[in-house]
Amino acid sequence: MARGGGNRSRLLLVILLVTSLFLVTLDLRGSGVTNGSRSAIQSFLAPIQKGVSDFFAPVGRFFGDVKNFPNVKNEIAALQSENAKLKSQVLVNKDIQGQLKQLKGVLDLAGRGGYRTVSARVIGHGSAATFSQTITIDAGTSDGVNVDKTVISEHGLVGVVKSAEAHSAIVLLMSDPAFKVGVRIARSQSIGVLSGTGGNNFTLQLLDPAGDIQKGDVLFTNGSDNNRPFVPGVPTGQVIAVDHTSATLTQTATVKSYSDLGNLGVVSVIISAPTTAPHTMINPTPRPTVIIYVTPTPTPSATGTPSPTPSPTASPTSTKKAKN
Amino acid sequence: MSPVRIGFNASLLLVVFLLQETLISRMHLPLSGFSFYLAVLLLMVLLENRTGAVILGFVGGMILDLSPASESPFGQWALIITAISYLIAVNAESIDEIVGRPVGLGLFVALGTSLSLVAYLLMNGLLGLATGTAGRDALVILGNFFWTMLLAPFFMPLLIVIRDATIGSRERI
Repeated sequence: MARGGGNRSRLLLVILLVTSLFLVTLDLRGSGVTNGSRSAIQSFLAPIQKGVSDFFAPVGRFFGDVKNFPNVKNEIAALQSENAKLKSQVLVNKDIQGQLKQLKGVLDLAGRGGYRTVSARVIGHGSAATFSQTITIDAGTSDGVNVDKTVISEHGLVGVVKSAEAHSAIVLLMSDPAFKVGVRIARSQSIGVLSGTGGNNFTLQLLDPAGDIQKGDVLFTNGSDNNRPFVPGVPTGQVIAVDHTSATLTQTATVKSYSDLGNLGVVSVIISAPTTAPHTMINPTPRPTVIIYVTPTPTPSATGTPSPTPSPTASPTSTKKAKN
Repeated sequence: MSPVRIGFNASLLLVVFLLQETLISRMHLPLSGFSFYLAVLLLMVLLENRTGAVILGFVGGMILDLSPASESPFGQWALIITAISYLIAVNAESIDEIVGRPVGLGLFVALGTSLSLVAYLLMNGLLGLATGTAGRDALVILGNFFWTMLLAPFFMPLLIVIRDATIGSRERI
């Protein structure tokens, strides 16, 4: 092993450290050069990542299965128990379905529509070395995916699009420490801010000191201005513990996400949200148009025979409309 | 280190980085995973002299900085890995034939990996960036230390073979 040293290596060290510091300063001052480099690398890496991901996906799944092997037996027993409960619940649901049909009609009247989404496969995960919690998806600007769009899974919120290229995008997961989203508690309608902690649980901080929060409360996204980065009404998580200490001004709670962020295979990016939010006024139903048909009075005949008493009759040829 | 070797090592690190992003990250290993890339990079640094170590550290750090998933400012990883690489090179000189001692080698590289991660977190804190909870960060660092110490001696022979195949006659002297 060749070993060398001396002034040359020290000078090189100083030059490279200064270069690094220069790059850090440039980036922190918002230079477009560094962002451009990362975008170019992302465009270059995305197809390779996709290919390698397809090739190695069975290996990754194998390790996941091996890790979860001891839990499989318990999981089967739990699922069987859950299945029995669900069967009984199906009977109850038939009654609820009738009510739901009526409710749906009311919601349709209010003009509430669904989200328009683009589905994408997860082709890469953020490096364990960077502490950042991200995923790379195989949909980009050419599919309508742009920065600051909400990303969901089959169970609820996943994160937000951090950067997007033509055919790929990077999603900041809700578990990232830098992630924050405004949420609303379904039961009490109290609002708060949900923050990622780097792990599987999240921290909820209520904005109102007197807000009502309980264990088991369900959270939905509160929505952002122009639906970016978050659309309203996306299931976010469930409160698993409430902090009752009086050390903080506002109440805090620990929340568990609905989405399994460690095992994401396919996600959807919401590219457009309903134009009418639930909080907007419902337009009143238009009153019916009233049409009055009037038949003109016949002119008296030349013979002087008195004409019969005129009576209003419907006549399509000569009408006068009055709209109310 | 010749420009050809710099290019070759950069290509090799890029392949390792791709493996890290597409395969290792998906494995969900216990203790919050393993940074294969950092382990390989620091092992490669260990085989070089001071000048080579500094150059390799800078190039390896730049590749980490170019990662689109990275949230840190561009250049932060280059700064940290360059400094750590110099430290590793200087300290490795004081240990006689470290390559022939698997436990010592694993411990040395694992300490380097942990030190890099701690430096990264400290710099994030200084720059006012989000760092996550202390418990979670400690688990990530501990997990990386454990996996690096366990696995580094296994891929060291392969890195030595690759280095010997690419090294020029001038560098052998």
